[in-house]
This record gives sequence, C-alpha cells and structure tokens, in this order.
Amino acid sequence: MTEPRNPGMSSVPQSNPSHTESSSQAVEMDPVEYTLRKRLPRKLPKRRNDVYVNMKTDFRAQLARCQKLLDGGGHREICVHGLGLAINRAINIALQLQASSQGALQLAANTSTVELIDDLEPEDPDEAGEPMTRTRNNSAIHIKVFYPDPQ
Amino acid sequence: QPRSDKVKSKCLESYGGRGQKCGGGDSPCPFPGLAAGVLEMRVKEGSKIRNLMGFAMARMQGEKTGSAVVFTGSGRAVTKTITCAEIMKRKVGCLHQMTKLRYKVVKEVWESNQGAASEMTVHRTVPSISILLSKDPLDPQEPGYQPPETLSALWEDRAGTEPSAQTTYKRPLGQLPYSGFPHCKKLCLEEEDQTNPA
Repeated sequence: MTEPRNPGMSSVPQSNPSHTESSSQAVEMDPVEYTLRKRLPRKLPKRRNDVYVNMKTDFRAQLARCQKLLDGGGHREICVHGLGLAINRAINIALQLQASSQGALQLAANTSTVELIDDLEPEDPDEAGEPMTRTRNNSAIHIKVFYPDPQ
Repeated sequence: QPRSDKVKSKCLESYGGRGQKCGGGDSPCPFPGLAAGVLEMRVKEGSKIRNLMGFAMARMQGEKTGSAVVFTGSGRAVTKTITCAEIMKRKVGCLHQMTKLRYKVVKEVWESNQGAASEMTVHRTVPSISILLSKDPLDPQEPGYQPPETLSALWEDRAGTEPSAQTTYKRPLGQLPYSGFPHCKKLCLEEEDQTNPA
C-alpha cells in the first residue's frame, strides 16, 4: 500500500530476513541477490475520451481534464480508468463530475483484473542467480461517465 | 471548500483523537428490487480477504442457500471490495455483475478530551462501491451492468484481441527492459487491426 508505484525504483527488503521468511512467496529466493522491478501495466487502449488516473498527478488537474473533455471537448461520454490504489481517485473524480453536473451525468462502472508482471533481477551478475518473473493480479475500475440519451 | 476543511481540522485538534465513526444512518440498498435475503458482505479496511471469501464462497456454492451476493465497501476499503468481487467472479464463473458508485455520508462524533460534555458531529462524504454478483440474469440496460466472462462492456470492441495480447507480453526476462514498452504498445495495436475485421 505504501509502496510507490514506480517501476525500477523499489527493491526487495534486504535487511529483514524474518519478514521474507514468513511470506511464502519469497521463500525460494535469496533476498540479497534480487532487485524487484515492477513493469508497467501492459496495454493501454487510448481513445480521445479515455482518462487514466494515477496517483502522481494533482487530483484537481485530473478532475479539470475530465471536466474539460466533457464541456469543451464535445464528448458525450468519457472513460475514467483506475488501477490499484488509483481506483479510489478514479471513483472520486467520477462522483465529483456527476455532482457538479447537477445530475445530468450518469455513471456506469465496470471492474476487471489486470495481470501485472514483476521482474526479479540478480543484483550481482557473477552469481548464479537466474532472472525470474512473477505475475500477480491487481484490481481495476473503468467508469463510463456519460450524458444519457434523451428517450 | 478548502476553507471549510481548514476550519474543520482546527476544530478537531482541540477535540483530540476521540473520534467515533458512525454509519450515515441506514443507507438504502443501491439495488432496488433485490430479494431481501441476499447476503451483504460489508468490506472494511481491516477485513481479511480470506475470511470474507471463505464465508461468501460457502454461501454462493451451497446448493440452495444463495444465488447472489453484494459486496459493499467505502473509503480505503473500496479496492478490497473490488478484489473480493473479482476473486469470486473468477472462482464461481457465469456471474452477472452490477456495480454502483455513490457518496456515502459518514457521521463522525468527536468528543472533547478536556473532559467537558461537549460533542461535535462532522458529516463527511466518502466514496463507496456496491457490487452485486448474481447467478441469475440482471437487467443489461441498467448502467453498471457487466455480463459474465467478459472483460467489460467498455472493451467490447477489443475483447477479441485480449488473449493474444496477453501471451505476447509474457516474454522471457532480460530481453526487454523498460525501453521496450513503446514497441509493445505498437504490437498490441497492430494485432487489433488484424483481428477486428474477422
């Protein structure tokens, strides 16, 4: 949760053997020899009305960008995507948009699972450590924010 | 809005950390027309996923007990709520999903730590999510509906390319550091173009 979503910057804890022993996933590897690199999530389908929310950009800037797409961009609907920790922010943006439209906007949320890949690279190339990859899942949300068609 | 925030935090300082969260009354069920006996899993920040899933899966897999379950969570429990729903979808299969988002009003009662009988109530809004998973079909016209076994209705046009894209990305390590990503993206788009007319 506190881990920064930043590929290549985080590493396996090295000075905490008790921690790595207790977690079953880390049993077979030596924590000293590997660096954990998180790859970026794969595939980013990007239409003009897709907005990918992250935790680095200022919240208001991301909200303003969505608002602009709906107001000035001429889009009847936009798609707000959030992965992991950014799910909360994506929901917040969607709800804020809806609230400021005085009920004109509707939300349709879908959830999905995204497979993420971590690379485990040996710290010391001379050692016999094999590079490894590990896949894990993370949850994602896709919120369609749209003006309902008059019927 | 920022000003009111500042006032609030200043007030709270003198009231010390004795905040007590109360639910915002009985929030109405976001799924009208749902049978009364449906299991509602209230996911909290500290809930263990294995506990939640152990209970919910037993109810869903029991022969006559349940055909639907609702996962609800707010604030920092939203991610966990989605994860629970995703795990259940994967394990049970063929589940129709309905997702609803809304703001939930949380009433916080702050007691003064100076021993006085003064109390202060603060109304905060936190985003909350409710996910209904049902073995029986739901209304596909309702916003937030997701049919079984698909990525999502939003990705309809791309859903066909999904499995092939996935295998493309499982390449051996070491060949492709981060510099390879723009390339990957291009690959994905090409595949899409090829498979779309089919």
